[in-house]
Amino acid sequence: MNILKDVLLELFSMFVADARLTAAILAIVVIAALVIDATDLSPLVGGVFLLVGCITVLFLSVRREANRRTAQSTQAAAE
Amino acid sequence: MLEWSTAGPAVGAAFLASIVEVVEAFTIVLVVATLRGWKPAVLGTGAALAVLAAVVVILGPLLDRVPLNLLQLVIGVLLLLFGIGWLRKASLRAGGVIPLHDEDAIFAKETAELCTEVQRHKSSQDWIAGIAAFKAVLLEGLEVIFIVIAVGAGRGLLWPASLGALAACVLVLLIGAIAHRPLARVPENTLKFGVGVMLSAFGVFWTGEGLGVDWPGHDLALFVFAALFLVAGLVAARMVRQPIKEVTI
Repeated sequence: MNILKDVLLELFSMFVADARLTAAILAIVVIAALVIDATDLSPLVGGVFLLVGCITVLFLSVRREANRRTAQSTQAAAE
Repeated sequence: MLEWSTAGPAVGAAFLASIVEVVEAFTIVLVVATLRGWKPAVLGTGAALAVLAAVVVILGPLLDRVPLNLLQLVIGVLLLLFGIGWLRKASLRAGGVIPLHDEDAIFAKETAELCTEVQRHKSSQDWIAGIAAFKAVLLEGLEVIFIVIAVGAGRGLLWPASLGALAACVLVLLIGAIAHRPLARVPENTLKFGVGVMLSAFGVFWTGEGLGVDWPGHDLALFVFAALFLVAGLVAARMVRQPIKEVTI
C-alpha cells in the first residue's frame, strides 16, 4: 500500500508541483480554448495567446518563488 | 516517412529527460548494491521493469483508441504542467534561489536511510533493500514512460522516442558500470533546463493542435517555441540571480 501511495503521490507531484502554477497554466489553456472556439478570431490568435500566456506564467512563477524565498531568509536572519 | 524536424526533438527530449530520471534511479540502485549486494538490487530493478513493461503493454493499445485531437490536447496540457514545472525549477536553480541537485549527497542520504531501515528490521534486510530499488526504478520509470508517450504519441513517434529513452538507459548503465559510483558529474540542472524547454515547446504545440490551431511552419514551429522558452528561462534565471547554493538532496 505504501508503494502504491508513493506512486500516486509521485504522479500527482509530476503535474502539480506548485498549485498556483498549475492553476495559472490551466486558466491560460481554458482562455485560449475560448478564444478559438467562442470568437470569430483566427485560431492562431488563441495559439499565440497560449504561447505568450505560458511564458508570462513562467516569469511570474519564478519571480514569485524567488521573492517568497528571499522574504523567508530575510525574516529568518532578522530572528 | 519519418520527418526529422519532428522526430529529432522527440528523440532528443526523450533521451535527455530519461538521462535525468535514470541517473536518479541508478543512484538508489547503487546504494542498495553497495549495502546489500547486487542480488536485491537486480531483483528489485527487474521487478520494477516488469511492472513498467506491463504498464506500457496495457497503455499502448488504449492510446490508439483515443481520437488524435483529444490525445494531443490532453498530452499537451500535461506536458505544459510538467515542462513548465521543470523549467521553473531549473531557472530557480540556475539563478541560485534553490540549491543544485547533488547525486553524491543523495547517495549518502539514501545510504544512511537504508541502514536505519535495515537495522530496524533485521530479519528482512535484503527484502527492504530490494523494495528500495523497486520503488526508485518504478517511480523514475513512470516519468520516463510519460515523457516517451507525451513526446511520441501525438505524431506516431512512440518508437523513436522509446529508442531515445533506451539509449539514455544504456548510456547511464555503461558509464555507471565503469565508474561504479553515483554519476555526480552529470550536469543535471543544465539537462533539466533543456528538457523543460523542449517539453514546454511540445506542450504549447500539442495543446494548440488539439484546440485546432494550424501552426505556421507546422513542425518547424517547435523550434521557434523551444527558442522562446529557452530565452524566457535564461532571462527568468538572470532576473532572480543570487549566489549559487551548492547542494541539495
